[in-house]
Amino acid sequence: MPQVRIIAKNFMDMVASLPAMKLDSLYQNAYICEAILRSLPPLAKKYVVQILFFDGPVSGKLLEQWVLDDGVTKHRVAIDRLIQLRIFIEVTDKKRESSYKLNQTFQANLQKHLTNGGVLPRETMAATVKLPSSEDLDTYALEQWECFLLLLISSGQAEKPTSLSSSMMKIFQRGLLSQRDRDAPRLTEGGFQFLLMDTNAQLWYIIREYISNSEERGTDPADLISFLLELSFHVTGEAYNINTLTEIQRNTIKDLAELGLVKLQQGRKESWFIPTKLATNLSVSLTDSSSRKQGYVVVETNFRLYAYSTSKLHCEILRLFSKIEYQLPNLIVGAITKESLYSAFENGITSDQIISFLQQNAHPRVAERLPSVPENVTDQIRLWEADLNRVEITPAHLYDEFPSKDTFEAACDYAREWNGLLWEDSKKMRVVVKAEIHMNMREFLRGQK
Amino acid sequence: MTSVPSKLYSDDVSLVVVLLDTNPFFWTASSSLPFSQFLSHVMAFVNSILLLNQLNQVVVIASGYNTCDYIYDSSSDASQLGPENGKMPSLYSNLLQKLEDFMIKDEKLGKDQSQRAIKSSLLSGSMSMALCYIQRVFRSGPFHPQPRILCLQGSPDGPEQYVAVMNAIFSAQRSMVPIDSCYVGAHNSAFLQQASYITGGVYVKPQHLDGLFQYLTTVFATDLHSRSFIQLPRPAGVDFRASCFCHKTTIDMGYICSVCLSIFCNHHKKCSTCGSVFGQAQSDTSSASDLKRKAPET
Amino acid sequence: MANNIAEKRRQQEEDDEEEDGDLDGWGERNYADERSWEALQEDESGLLRPLDNKAMYHAQYRRRLRSLSTASNSQRIQKGLIRFLYIVLDLSRAASVMDFRPSRMAVVAKNVEAFIREFFDQNPLSQIALVIIKDGVAYSLTDLGGSPESHVKALMAKLECSGDSSLQNALELVHEYLDQIPSYGNREVLILYSALTTCDPGDIMETIQKCKKSKMRCSVIGLSAEMFICKHLCQETGGLYSVALDESHFKELIMEHAPPPPAIAEFAIANLIKMGFPQRAAEGSISICSCHKECKVGEGYICPRCKARVCELPTECRICGLTLVSSPHLARSYHHLFPITPFDEVTPSRQNEPHRRSQKTCFGCQQGLVNPGNKPSLHVTCPKCKQYFCLDCDIYIHESLHNCPGCESLRAS
Repeated sequence: MPQVRIIAKNFMDMVASLPAMKLDSLYQNAYICEAILRSLPPLAKKYVVQILFFDGPVSGKLLEQWVLDDGVTKHRVAIDRLIQLRIFIEVTDKKRESSYKLNQTFQANLQKHLTNGGVLPRETMAATVKLPSSEDLDTYALEQWECFLLLLISSGQAEKPTSLSSSMMKIFQRGLLSQRDRDAPRLTEGGFQFLLMDTNAQLWYIIREYISNSEERGTDPADLISFLLELSFHVTGEAYNINTLTEIQRNTIKDLAELGLVKLQQGRKESWFIPTKLATNLSVSLTDSSSRKQGYVVVETNFRLYAYSTSKLHCEILRLFSKIEYQLPNLIVGAITKESLYSAFENGITSDQIISFLQQNAHPRVAERLPSVPENVTDQIRLWEADLNRVEITPAHLYDEFPSKDTFEAACDYAREWNGLLWEDSKKMRVVVKAEIHMNMREFLRGQK
Repeated sequence: MTSVPSKLYSDDVSLVVVLLDTNPFFWTASSSLPFSQFLSHVMAFVNSILLLNQLNQVVVIASGYNTCDYIYDSSSDASQLGPENGKMPSLYSNLLQKLEDFMIKDEKLGKDQSQRAIKSSLLSGSMSMALCYIQRVFRSGPFHPQPRILCLQGSPDGPEQYVAVMNAIFSAQRSMVPIDSCYVGAHNSAFLQQASYITGGVYVKPQHLDGLFQYLTTVFATDLHSRSFIQLPRPAGVDFRASCFCHKTTIDMGYICSVCLSIFCNHHKKCSTCGSVFGQAQSDTSSASDLKRKAPET
Repeated sequence: MANNIAEKRRQQEEDDEEEDGDLDGWGERNYADERSWEALQEDESGLLRPLDNKAMYHAQYRRRLRSLSTASNSQRIQKGLIRFLYIVLDLSRAASVMDFRPSRMAVVAKNVEAFIREFFDQNPLSQIALVIIKDGVAYSLTDLGGSPESHVKALMAKLECSGDSSLQNALELVHEYLDQIPSYGNREVLILYSALTTCDPGDIMETIQKCKKSKMRCSVIGLSAEMFICKHLCQETGGLYSVALDESHFKELIMEHAPPPPAIAEFAIANLIKMGFPQRAAEGSISICSCHKECKVGEGYICPRCKARVCELPTECRICGLTLVSSPHLARSYHHLFPITPFDEVTPSRQNEPHRRSQKTCFGCQQGLVNPGNKPSLHVTCPKCKQYFCLDCDIYIHESLHNCPGCESLRAS
């Protein structure tokens, strides 16, 4: 399945790969500690909370006793992760038994959090500011994000220009688009899959690219990570004064506004930023969980597809695997045809991706019924895909003219042992084996003689 | 065929409904652990649940002496947050305010009633409310947090609530909602022991009350998914013997009214609960064993 | 050798086929949602709109609740809590008819399984036995017993249908068994009848009178059409007769038999039954269990009379015949005896009463009772504590919880 997704999930690997010094300084920030804790596997979270108020080191043996016998692998994974992130510091005593100690800054920050409760990262602006309603903010965020995506896949279609530098766009497009000489850029396999992912996964992919290239722009990735995580703890829809940010953060926030993570507003004297749902969901998407959003697609048993959407992006996405027939002001009508699907399969999209996209974006009217996409349609999509894969080509070698029945059967058994027997005909004494065991087979037959 | 990705919601997202015992009779008498201290342990625990996962949800229901009410819901918390208390942690301000209102209301309701011997809290009420809330979460769609109930009880069981508490326990069992219980009172609570045993929850009676927070995080912060591989206190033997309706003594063998299932320790002519008049005694055992002998065992 | 290889290859082919199975079999699969037209209704202006399932479900539930409460309101409620129920399954030729999908038999089996579990959940002290009609004769599949698993297992192993159906044979057989039941028990028969005929050896009217005399309450659920003889049987013995329209209706009808029926004094004589409340065996103690005849460690119960070890409750001691229960089993039935009153629907006029306006959320689940657009949605109120509840809580409270959260959070004075 999509490579991109795997990378997007492992944001914490990025954090873990930071040098120890940087990590320690990251933990100065209480929000980072909180976000990091939440991204840990459940057992690791539990260990941290359980020994949060212990002063001294805790022996590894004691920790191991907390899990049942069949949880030992989970225990190892949890401990490794904690050490990797420098939350646990391993101490080996005289008897060579290892015990663990919590990172002191990390511990202090979380202790404070538990006893005092969650404190907001920065003060909201006074009530004089007129705030957009939460619906308006959501539509703003979505519009902004879709506009960005559209720009990403086809620069010509966007309605408004972006302030993101073209070099940055190039970075984002890397891996999603491929351009040969003068031709218009084409979506790569990864690009198609990217479009079908849910918003959170897409967002993380972009953010990841953004962070990994920060050094080229002269920003410290650790600072960027800490700022992004901190941003996710702001309250959605509240205004925060931009003057509370550092210079680098102010530059960053402009880029984030382009992505729809924050909305920038300017008053007479001051300017402020309002985090949207996309921003506050950042740390949620650290884990595998995902948020639900309202779908818009209705698929009927006659393979027709109705999408209640005004978005050009949705139209583009649907065009990936269906034939768009009409476009009304709020409705896109299309049909899933064999031809449209074949072109999708050629582009590297799988039937499962299409089906799960249709299911995840099902219109609320159909989403509540089970199955949300008619089964005859999902089956047909799978069948059409299977049609393309009817013949599987395996490089192979044919052996014949065996001297005796015994040699033939021994050869068959040998091939079977190596899991390389493809076909055999015991009457004519012919056998076909996979190419990769050809050498072994030859050796074997030589030995038989 | 319906391959809706099930991993969209991670395993350890939980909804904890905390039933907080606010019975004034118990807390004024409790010397080992003052209510304020108890509350600070609980608040830190609630914080730690919310810390563990952004999607975790905590609901606190107070079970008082005269009434029960919701005093905190983390899901509706964010919307209540006005700009005026921007810096104040919302958990504290909201919960403490509501708790105070509740205590005053609870006291008012009790004013015009004479002091009685029963010092129990309305556990059945808060349990029923918690279950209603959890049903609403179940209704909310395929992606919901894993719910569980945590009873923080100190006051003794109220025998008059027996039927209601048992009804709530069975309903929880049917909807697979474990009831955890942490009993801080003097003697063990038979209600809570049964509740945790039947629903597959954990019952703990902490030995050292000043370390309550450690008990709470070690045992009760464990999400349902992790319970399959973490050592938790094993259920001690729960006494399922019944007590008879006539003398309230625990019995090994007794007589059950076939109409209303009242329990008696010896034979009566008439059922004191439902008024049925009984036929001859002991006919049942003999005929039952006759039947047994006749019908071969399956 | 060659044979062996051929065998293997065939196996492989079969495996391959199985892998493709979910695609190849698509032509025969039952697609859900095939009766989509049934989910539509016409409104006043003649437009089609989807059925409001929630409102309908609730109305249906209210009707059921009312009928139950009027039946029992007249006097002190007495319910037959100790039931001896024979379930008779008609597995004659008629059960293979495919008007129910995939067949009547499969639908009956599936729902009987669900029913058995529900039955024991609601009637922990009762017993069930299964009887099958096939090839014109009736035979007993399982004897009276309290373990749902053994019944379900026996049923699932015997799912074939053939021959004619005979109502009389079934009744005669059941009558023979039920006549030995102690007098305090409620004798009940539930017949799931697929056929439209009965092929009897004698006069069925006599058998029906015999059943009536033995105080057997016979109920029938038909799967095809109404039959006079079934109706007559039910009328004579005081049972219920109904015919299922479709699978969901059938499920509803069979589940109606799960809660205990109102006890009729003349049917079951009140009696005191001797029962034992065993203690759990000490952890780690080793003993031979009397139900499996095996050595077991820990986790068991000791009969207080003969000290034999049993594995689970409720049961009857294999050695001395004493009924062994635990107090929660008794408590499981108490809600039948102390039911909560049905809630009243709140009419719009009453919603305008000034002192009622304050409550805007359901007392149980805190859900808002006001629809978007500030129009109050339909809700109910408890006549005792006067708290408001949403419709979902109303159903949950009456069907599963059996407690009114409002009344429970008031100290009864």
